[in-house]
Amino acid sequence: MSTATQVPAPPTAPPPPRRPGRARGRLARRQALAAWGFMLPSLVVLAIFVVYPMTQALYLSFTEYNVIQAARWVGLANYEKLLSDPAFRNALVNTLYYAAVTTPVSVGLALGLALLLNRRLPLRGFLRTSVFLPVVLSLAIVAIAWSFLLDPNIGLLSYWLSKVGIVSEQGWLRDPNLAMPAVMLVGIWKNVGFYMVMYLAGLQSIPRELHEAASIDGAGAWRRFRRITWPLLANQTMLITILAAIATLQAFDQIFVMTRGGPFFQTETVVMMIYRVGFQEFAFGYASAISWVLVLLIFGLSMGQLAYFRKRTVTY
Amino acid sequence: MAATTAPTRAPAPAPVTRSPGVVRAWRIMTLVAVLAIAAVMLLPLVWMVATSFKPEADIVKFPPSLLPDQVTLQHYLDVWDRIPFARLYVNTIIFAGGVTLISLLLDSMCAYALARLAFPGRNLVFVAILVMLMLPFQVTLIPLYDLLVGLGWTNSLQGLIIPRATNAFGIFFLRQFLLSLPRDLEEAARIDGASEFRIYRTIIMPLAAPALLTLGLFHFMYNWNDLLWPLIVNQDQARQTLPAGLALFMGQHVVEYGILMAASVLALIPVVLFFLVIQRRFVEGIATTGIRG
Amino acid sequence: MALRRALAVLAVASMLVLAGCAGRGQESGGESSSGPVTLKFWNGFTGPDRPAVEEIVKRFNDSQDQVTIQMEIMPWDVFFTKLLPSLTSGTGPDIAAMDTAQIPQYAAKKALKPLDDYYTKEGTEADKLIPAAVEGAAFEGVKYSVPMNFTTLLLYWNKGMFKEAGLDPEKPPANWQEFADYAKKLTKDTNGDGKPEQYGLAIADHATIPMWPILFWQGGGAVVSEDGKTAMLGDPATIEAASYWVDLVRNDKIAPIGLGGADADKLFQSKKAAMEIVGPWMTTGFKDAGIDFGLAMPPAGPKAEVTLGTSVGFTVNARADQAKTDGAYEFFKFWNSKESQVYWSVNSGFPPNRTDIQASELAENPYVAAFGEPADKSRFYLINVQEFQKVNDTLFVPALQRVLNGKASVQDAFPKADADIQAVLDGS
Repeated sequence: MSTATQVPAPPTAPPPPRRPGRARGRLARRQALAAWGFMLPSLVVLAIFVVYPMTQALYLSFTEYNVIQAARWVGLANYEKLLSDPAFRNALVNTLYYAAVTTPVSVGLALGLALLLNRRLPLRGFLRTSVFLPVVLSLAIVAIAWSFLLDPNIGLLSYWLSKVGIVSEQGWLRDPNLAMPAVMLVGIWKNVGFYMVMYLAGLQSIPRELHEAASIDGAGAWRRFRRITWPLLANQTMLITILAAIATLQAFDQIFVMTRGGPFFQTETVVMMIYRVGFQEFAFGYASAISWVLVLLIFGLSMGQLAYFRKRTVTY
Repeated sequence: MAATTAPTRAPAPAPVTRSPGVVRAWRIMTLVAVLAIAAVMLLPLVWMVATSFKPEADIVKFPPSLLPDQVTLQHYLDVWDRIPFARLYVNTIIFAGGVTLISLLLDSMCAYALARLAFPGRNLVFVAILVMLMLPFQVTLIPLYDLLVGLGWTNSLQGLIIPRATNAFGIFFLRQFLLSLPRDLEEAARIDGASEFRIYRTIIMPLAAPALLTLGLFHFMYNWNDLLWPLIVNQDQARQTLPAGLALFMGQHVVEYGILMAASVLALIPVVLFFLVIQRRFVEGIATTGIRG
Repeated sequence: MALRRALAVLAVASMLVLAGCAGRGQESGGESSSGPVTLKFWNGFTGPDRPAVEEIVKRFNDSQDQVTIQMEIMPWDVFFTKLLPSLTSGTGPDIAAMDTAQIPQYAAKKALKPLDDYYTKEGTEADKLIPAAVEGAAFEGVKYSVPMNFTTLLLYWNKGMFKEAGLDPEKPPANWQEFADYAKKLTKDTNGDGKPEQYGLAIADHATIPMWPILFWQGGGAVVSEDGKTAMLGDPATIEAASYWVDLVRNDKIAPIGLGGADADKLFQSKKAAMEIVGPWMTTGFKDAGIDFGLAMPPAGPKAEVTLGTSVGFTVNARADQAKTDGAYEFFKFWNSKESQVYWSVNSGFPPNRTDIQASELAENPYVAAFGEPADKSRFYLINVQEFQKVNDTLFVPALQRVLNGKASVQDAFPKADADIQAVLDGS
């Protein structure tokens, strides 16, 4: 699931009606009470089933824990190890590489497809459905399909490509230079439909009159895009970019099924490493430490993105 | 969606007049482009469906072919013998459906508070919820499992559904949507003394229908396709869900591709149907979520 | 305001208390009971093996009413993910089947019960079990499992492709010289684009039943010594054997680089490779693909004629009480009884675990006996190594992959990996 999130816009609380102090206070208190009432079921469930395991994970990051035997306190040892671990550095670089490529490409493709689908088009509904369909498919099954298709010796895609002269000797998923692009492609393919639909809706809410007026004034299509469409899509772009960045920084699913982080760690992302260190090497304390560092990274990046976009988004 | 202030839908801008030949050439090109894109997006799905109709011996061969030389329905028949498919379906509907319905309720209530009500600490709660999305589940899985054991909730329906009964992404998603609804919608009702719950139920939620449908689809498909969680919580074969059943065709050394693909196609149908049915309203739902960033 | 503060304090306090419960590890306990026993049995036999496993379990349950086996089958990945936290929480299986290579990890942490008394007890017929399989069940001299299945790997060769290449289809290569020669002859790049259309050999380097280690053993080397204490990846014998074959793969292109186990199987199955060293699970697939194949012992190396032995064993949870252990023993005995083993072999394709079953009794599945035959000439991979995954997945396989991809030479990569492996072996 794209564990998508976005750091919030500043609160826009409804202004209280102009009234003498006590009545205003009473209304505010009533709202606050109601608010907590509304949130309570969610907060209780989250506190018990999400926050509590998270605090456990935080505690475990200061221990050595193999799950079978009791945890042993080691203080900051895991974090110190992280800083000098070449495997972590490799995973971090891979993750940043993956996110830095996948996010802009996904967003760009989503925008392009949305622009295409915003026109009067033959088979419009069919195209929209086919772009979105990968989002709802089970990733595990689809990864099997892709692995089959991309097999350099007996795969359909490789076979067809070889007929037009594109031959990969070792194959996408086994070639250390191509494995990462391959999993990136599958990641993009899987999620672009989701972002496209968001852009599509945004495009459809841009007033027609703006384009018409610009046309009459002699503005060509590109000019109209740059001056009208793009700025008015800034809200969407911000939301999608932040969502995509957070999801891609936690890339795991298709990598786990298609390459397991190989060949020789070329596609090992941070979450893949967390899985390996935790579940294969039984070092849960270390795995927890790695994941909390990832949280810090994601949080920091989200804040940065928010600051960047805050100046550029349009509000009515 | 009459209450929103979203402007009228904007179709493509009127094209500059061109000669009919050029127009036709453009049309053909766009058609080709459309088909090419659709082909790339759908290739794995087409492969899946085609494979499900191929005899097993034809699946791994060279040179490969997309379409079956011989069509067989045997895999679709075998699925029902090899795994208790009907029961898996029922279990999965209960799981995914249960999580979806409960989650929609809890998420929307929480989102309502965060978007439409004023109270101190509002931002803090929201940020706290967001941070919950940033920790990979691999690391919380074992503490969560230990917790379920402590509660005695392994191998139970409540253990399966309640940890998922609310979802940080869902809360965030609905909050964004609710923020985009006009400010003064509920003021009149508040002044008249209506309870917040009444406002939530009668005014806000009906307007949120597209977003709720959208989120419902996300929750449903995510849980429908989830392999690990139900397998971890459940201990009885009788409680297993579809992905667990499908996984039984993936041996350590030998994958039974034909029957696996047939089972996958059958397992896909509800989610795809759900999507097709709500496609239109879906676009509306995500749209307004994005406008107020 | 006060309410909010009180809630916050309560939340933090309860979290601190509960956090203290984290990382409990193993607790003592276990109930004792008499009378009928239900045992939870987990394993990863998905795929075409599953019906045979289910049938034997059913027969056991039907044959008596003292012990009931409640089985759960899931993919091995999920199995190990689920097993880990369940071992100490009391929700785990009483019997867990796992590859013997995985056992030391759990045994060293005292999660598994020593099963030596199964082998000395009266009536279990443990003396009829294949000695090689029983050897694989031991870790540091103590037996932690009872064989569930056992097999060796054999050389498959495609007779039709041999004939086409001008080789005698009934004569598989008998030594490395022939192996290399035949592989070269069977590798064909007809359109000259540098990528063979047909490969002489399909050999996998990752996500596979071990194939490269067989070549090391035959050359007198190994990844780790048999007592699990010394890394041998950097030994001259290992390096020589590895270099010999890596050169053939890289320079003569006798095999594709980067195959996983399933990829190698598919390559042979689609007739794009003429030879493969693999287990019995592919016989049905290859036969259905119309391949006329032969089975033989992998060609002897300069120092040894040996193949891989691999086994999945039943383990018993350390927390199981006497009643449960006895029940488990009954099940193991039934599983390894002559009747069950004949059924198992014929239906799963794995050779029987017993030494007293004649090939004639297995006539329904003609290949099965062949896989059991070289049991005495088989070795287990990384036996007695406690940290199997770390040594194999994190250190050995990446080094091998680097070498095959030309990122490093065997002379550089293997000694370095050797040192890392030694550090792991010393540490545990």
